[in-house]
Amino acid sequence: MSAAARPNWIVRWLVHLVTYAVALTMIAPFGWMISTSLKTNRRAIDPNPSLLPDGPLTQWQWHHYLEAWRRAQLGDFYLNSIIVAVVVTALSVLFCAIAGFAFAKLRFAGRRITFAILLATLLLPYQVYFIFAYFICSWLGYIDQLHALIVPFLASAFGIFYMRQSIVTVPDSLLDAGRIDGFTDFELFVNIIVPAVRPALAALAIFTFMASWNNFFWPLIVIDSSEHITLPLAVERLSAGQFVDSWPQRMAAATIITVPTIFVFVLFQRSFVEGLALTGVKG
Amino acid sequence: MNGRSSRSGWAFVAFPLAVVFLFTALPTVAGVGLSLFMWNGSDAPSFIGLGNFQAAMTKDPQFWYALRNTLIFAAVTVPITTVLAFLFAVILNARWFVGRTVVRTMFFLPAVVSIIAVGYVWRWVLDPKAGLLNATLEWAHLDALFGGDLPAWLGDNPWGLGAMIAVQIWRNLGFCVVLYLAALSQVPRSLHEAASVDGAGPWQSIWCVTWPAVRPMTAFLIITGSIWALQVFDLVWGIWGEAEMRWTDVLNAHLYREFTHLRISYSATIGVYMLLLTAIVTFAQLRWMRRSEEAYR
Repeated sequence: MSAAARPNWIVRWLVHLVTYAVALTMIAPFGWMISTSLKTNRRAIDPNPSLLPDGPLTQWQWHHYLEAWRRAQLGDFYLNSIIVAVVVTALSVLFCAIAGFAFAKLRFAGRRITFAILLATLLLPYQVYFIFAYFICSWLGYIDQLHALIVPFLASAFGIFYMRQSIVTVPDSLLDAGRIDGFTDFELFVNIIVPAVRPALAALAIFTFMASWNNFFWPLIVIDSSEHITLPLAVERLSAGQFVDSWPQRMAAATIITVPTIFVFVLFQRSFVEGLALTGVKG
Repeated sequence: MNGRSSRSGWAFVAFPLAVVFLFTALPTVAGVGLSLFMWNGSDAPSFIGLGNFQAAMTKDPQFWYALRNTLIFAAVTVPITTVLAFLFAVILNARWFVGRTVVRTMFFLPAVVSIIAVGYVWRWVLDPKAGLLNATLEWAHLDALFGGDLPAWLGDNPWGLGAMIAVQIWRNLGFCVVLYLAALSQVPRSLHEAASVDGAGPWQSIWCVTWPAVRPMTAFLIITGSIWALQVFDLVWGIWGEAEMRWTDVLNAHLYREFTHLRISYSATIGVYMLLLTAIVTFAQLRWMRRSEEAYR
C-alpha cells in the first residue's frame, strides 16, 4: 500500500493491536515447544503445565538439546536433509517456473488439456497413490536412496499452477517488447519473467523447502536403512522404545530441526519487499 | 495470450509434466483401478466392479458422516481463511506497520512447526476439563453463551467440528498471507498513486485497486485451499484421533482408517469419491476463474 493511502492514527493503532494479538496466538505452540524442551521430564507431562520451566534460567534443562543432538545423531542426518531440500528446492522452483511460463504466456498444441490433466493430479490424496508411487520408485531402483526423496519432487502440479497464476499477471506488452528485441522464449523467461515474479519465486522456494524438510510420511516408506534417513525420521526415533521419558528431548530435537526453516523463510521473504521497488517501475 | 504458436512450449513443460505424470498421475490411475477390486493387501485381488462404490453409499453410515463434515469444513474454512489472509497481507505490506518482518515470520510459524507439536498443544488448549480455552471462557463468565455447559471441544459433537475449523484457519492463515504478500509486491505502485490522486481513501484503495489486482492469486488460493480442505488429514488424525466419530471424522481420515484395517481397495474407493467431489468443486471454480481472468485483461 502506498504512503498516500495511509489511514488515520486510531485505525493504525487498532490494526497494530489486532495484528499483534493474532501473531501471539500464532507463535504460542512454538513457544510451548521450546518451553517444554527446557522442562524436566516429569514437569513436561504434568497435566497442569506451567508456562515456563521451573526456576531461574540457569536451572532450565538446557542439556536436553545436547542429549537430543547426540541420541538422534542429528549431526549425521543434517547432511541428508540439506542435500535433499536444497536440490529439490533449486530444481523444482526452476522447472515449475518455466512450465508455469509456458502455460501462462506461450501457445502450443494441447496446452489447455495438459493443464487440465495437471490440475486433476492435485485432486487425489496421496493416501491413494503412494503405494503405486512406491512400486515405481522400486522399479527405478530408488528405494533406500536419496533419489527417492529427490526425483519425484523435482516438479509439482501445485508449483506449476502457482507459477502460472503469478506469471499471468505480467503484462503482455513487456514480452512483446522483448520479442521485438529478438529474444527467444527462453531469453524472455530469464530476462523478463524471472525479474518480474521474483517474489513468487521466493514464496515457492519457501514452501518447497519447508515441504521437503518436514516430509515425514514418504521417507518413512522409501528409506529402509539408517544411513539415508532425514531429520524428521531421526527425531521420531527418539520416541521409540528405550527412551520412554523423552518428551523434552523430542521437543528439543523438533526445535533444532525447525530452526533452518525459519532461517530460510526470513532469508527469502526479504524479496517480497525488494519486489516492490522492482515492479514499481513497470506500471 | 499473444503471438504465434510457440515451439518452446512443449520443451518447457515436458520434463516437469513427466515427473508429475510418473509419480502422481500414473499411480493415481492405478489407485482408481484398485477400487474395482476386492483386495486386502496380501491375497490375490478379485474383480467386483462397482461393488465397493455401492457399499460406501448403502452400507457405510460413517462415509456419510465423514462426507457431511468434510463439506462443512471446506465451505467454512476456505472463504474465511482467504479473506483474512488478504486483509492481514495488506496490513503486513503497509509501510506504516511497525515490525512487519517479525510479524510476518510469526504468522508463518504454525505452518512450520511439526504436526506432532501442533497436535499436542491443541489437545491441551481444547481439553474440556483442564484446557486453556474452557478455563478462559469460565474466567470471563462466558459459559452462559453455551447454556452453562462448556463444550467438549475434543468430543463427538458439533463443537468438535467447530474447533477443527478454527485450528485449520489458524494453521493455514500464515501460508496464505505469504502467497498474498508475494502477489501484492507485484502490484504496480502507480495504480495506488492514481487511485489516491482520484481521492480514494485507504479502504477504497484496498477493495477497488488491490483486491482486483490480486484476483489470480485469490482464485489460486480458493482452488488449492478447497482441494486441501477436502483432503484434510494430519490435523484431524493428530488432534481428534483415530476413533470413528460422527462429528469429527473426515473423508481422508475414514479412508486412512480403512487402509490401516487392510481394506485397501475400499479405501481406494473412498479416494475415488473424494476425487469426484474435488473435481466437481474445482471445475466450477475454474470456470469462475477463467471469467475473472478475462475481466482482468
